[in-house]
Amino acid sequence: MAYIMLAPVLVLLSVFVLWPAIQAVYLSFFDWSFYTSSQFVAWKNYANVLGDDRFWQAILRGLEFVLMTVPVSLVLSFLIASLAVSVSQKVSTLLKISIYIPSVISGVIASITFVMIYDYSGGILNALINIVGLPNQAWLGDPRWALGAIALPAVWLGLGISTLIMIAALLDVPQSFYEAAELEGASWWQRTRYITLPQIKNVLLFLLVTGFVGSIQQYELPLVMTAGGPQHATELPNLFIFNHFRQDTYVGYSIAAALLLFVVLGSISSIIFRIVNSEKLVD
Amino acid sequence: MAIAPTIPAIEPAAETQIPARRHHRRLTPARAAALVLKFVAGAIIVGLALFPLAWMVISGFKLRTEVVRTPFQFFPDVWEVQNYVQILSDPSFVRTLAITGLGAVIFTTGSILINSMAAYAFARLEFVGKRIVWPLVLMTMFIPGMTILLTSFIVVTKLYMLDTLAVLILPGLASAGHVFFVRQFYLNIPSSLEEAARVDGCGRWGVYFRVFLPLSKAPFVVVGIGSFMAYWNSFVWPVLTITNPDLFQVQQYLANFRGERSSELGLLIAGSALAAAPIIILFLIFQRQIIANIKMAGLK
Repeated sequence: MAYIMLAPVLVLLSVFVLWPAIQAVYLSFFDWSFYTSSQFVAWKNYANVLGDDRFWQAILRGLEFVLMTVPVSLVLSFLIASLAVSVSQKVSTLLKISIYIPSVISGVIASITFVMIYDYSGGILNALINIVGLPNQAWLGDPRWALGAIALPAVWLGLGISTLIMIAALLDVPQSFYEAAELEGASWWQRTRYITLPQIKNVLLFLLVTGFVGSIQQYELPLVMTAGGPQHATELPNLFIFNHFRQDTYVGYSIAAALLLFVVLGSISSIIFRIVNSEKLVD
Repeated sequence: MAIAPTIPAIEPAAETQIPARRHHRRLTPARAAALVLKFVAGAIIVGLALFPLAWMVISGFKLRTEVVRTPFQFFPDVWEVQNYVQILSDPSFVRTLAITGLGAVIFTTGSILINSMAAYAFARLEFVGKRIVWPLVLMTMFIPGMTILLTSFIVVTKLYMLDTLAVLILPGLASAGHVFFVRQFYLNIPSSLEEAARVDGCGRWGVYFRVFLPLSKAPFVVVGIGSFMAYWNSFVWPVLTITNPDLFQVQQYLANFRGERSSELGLLIAGSALAAAPIIILFLIFQRQIIANIKMAGLK
């Protein structure tokens, strides 16, 4: 009886998640393609990945991208959440809806929209910087700007969820703390520094780690907007792996690279799990 | 086009609702200044968050030559519906919307059904192996997509599933996150309800269908919207597995359109606005439940 109810989920998870995960580990030790018989090569694929400058450059670029997106997202969502909990119910709802709407938009549509915003001769961004006297920039065509130009829609798409989680956290802080602080004459900064931030520490940590994991795995935006160019300036780790997979008929290298990335992300995920677990949110 | 009225409808509210949460206190100059500051900040946030979408919808009303032009202009000179009309009379676009919508509906229904059944079993039934299976299911939440994307592609290729509706629906249907989320909800349903139903002669299936399903509207909305959104917005998986234009998914269609017909920006932006509309409308309809559940969903 229980098994019949579980069967669809267990079968599908086994075939499309667990089996591919196991196969990934297996294939990473082989030279394998759709067209040839497989050959055991031990750690060769891993050695190739670890010895490949492009892999390391992609990882570094991923970290740079994290630095461009995560701190900005955390600060913005904290400020927006602070505003949302200090205004009337209706305004707060309006803020929540507006900030969350971008989160339901697909990466492709966001990409199309932002590519037009960045358009060299007719986009709004160049029109804006022209007002303050700066010359047009090729935002997506110039390696200096391209990664930042992808970070912007990434922040825009992701801000909604982190803000809503932050709002929930702020509402959990006991109101009496603030009343006491107000009696003592504490300023906004003092209340934030000594009450709010320590009280929402766990949520901040959670958002930091999920933000890191989500951000370093981003590849849909650069895939659509720039395909990784110009001069690999937007080739984030997963896009590097994905592009490699589509070009190389031997999949071992790509899979080994994905697994190496997974080792890093997996250890971070287990940290999250421990935090969430300690908060008694699981069971 | 359908979302056009919703955006102006939201923005004016900001101007009328801001004042006086603490109207019982005296309005000192400092307090008034803070109020004005909050109002300005709120308006900027709402404006910036909605700007790209508003701009997309409005650009769809421009003449094709006007969409990207120098000097930049936000509003069209003349509001034209030709882009929207033309993309909607393109059979390939309409077919893409229809086939994506069909897939999304099947995907959403199936996802709610199988994940909630599993959630019920994990929440309420005792069976041999539960202690091993449950952590295993949870573990699948933490396997990053890229690792198995590549080998999933190999698996579906070997199963001869390429270029079928099944390859779009089946691989993502079971979701540990959704099982977990619904299970949390089921754990909070009092077992006395269940026992009463058992006394009245309901079997396990009876309890699930007659007691749990009718109570599950809230988690089903969250799981349903999540599934619909995941299907409708998915891009990379269709690109890998679908080559038959009859089965193109909407995001894939838009990305291809951009690559192949790059001079027709007006049509592309109108198509994008139309493709974003169903998701935004669904969100606005169910925003209360979604926002209320975001904390739980976020901390899953």
